[in-house]
Amino acid sequence: MFTLLIGGSASGKSDLAEGMVCRLPGPRVYIATMQAFDDECRARIARHRARRAGKGFSTVESPLAAQLAGVPAGANALLECLSNLAANEMYDPAGQGPEAALAGVLALAARCPHLTVVTNEVFSGGADYEGDTLSYLRALAGINRALAARADRVAEVVCGLPNWLKGGPA
Amino acid sequence: MLLITGPLFAGKRECAAKLLGVPMERLADLAVWDVQDLAAAAPDLTALADALAARPVVIATEVGGGVVPVDPAQRAAREAAGRLSCLLAARAETVVRVCCGIPQLLKGEWPC
Repeated sequence: MFTLLIGGSASGKSDLAEGMVCRLPGPRVYIATMQAFDDECRARIARHRARRAGKGFSTVESPLAAQLAGVPAGANALLECLSNLAANEMYDPAGQGPEAALAGVLALAARCPHLTVVTNEVFSGGADYEGDTLSYLRALAGINRALAARADRVAEVVCGLPNWLKGGPA
Repeated sequence: MLLITGPLFAGKRECAAKLLGVPMERLADLAVWDVQDLAAAAPDLTALADALAARPVVIATEVGGGVVPVDPAQRAAREAAGRLSCLLAARAETVVRVCCGIPQLLKGEWPC
C-alpha cells in the first residue's frame, strides 16, 4: 500500500501520517530527509523526534535518494518529506536532479509493504515566481503528480484530516 | 461549461484533455486556460465571466492561498482572479478541482 499525503504548512500532515503508520503491524521506519543547516532546522528536527519518541520508529537519514537503499526490506516506511528530498536532489552539490528523487521513491514503494510519503502543498499562493523557485515548484509538482498516479491512495490534509482524492481509509 | 480549477502545476490541462477524451494538441479547440490572468485587466468581471462561460471548458489556477501580497497591483489581481473563479463556478454546470493530477468533483456530474 502506497499512500501520498499532501498538505500545507502545519496542516497536521505529519501527525496524521505517523498515526496511520503506527496502526500497521510490523517494523516502522521513519525516513528523515531534512538537512540541519541551522538552528531553525535543528529545532524542527528535535520537535519531530520528540513527537515520534515511543512510537516504535527507527530512523533512516536520507537527505538524498541514494540513502533510501538503507531502508530495510519489509519495513512500513514513512518518508518525510518529499519537498526536502526533491530540493536536496536539485540543489545539494551531491544531488542528481529531481528525477533521482522520483526514481528513489518509486523503487522504495516497490519494496515496502506500506510506504507513506508526505509532501507539501506550495502551489496555491499565486504564479508570480521565477528562476529557481519556479523550477523547483515545477519539478516538485511533477514528482507529486507522478507519485499520485502510482499511489494506491492520495489525500490532501486539512486541519489534520484527510480529504481522500484517491482510494480511502484502509 | 466545465470549470477546472486547482493549484499551480496540478495537471489541470492534462486532466481536461482526459475528461474530454481529446489529445492535448486539440485542447485549445475546446478550452481556454490561465483565465486568472485575464481578471486583473478586465473592466467588468461579470462580463468576462459571461464571455468565458460560452466556451465548453474554462481552466483557472487557484492563486488565493498564502499571504496577501504587499504590492497593491498584485493584491488587486489576486482578488479579481478569485472573484472571477467564483463567477465562473456559478455559471458552470460542472466544477472539477485537480490536485496532484487527480480530479475531484465539486459541482454537477462527471462529463462522460
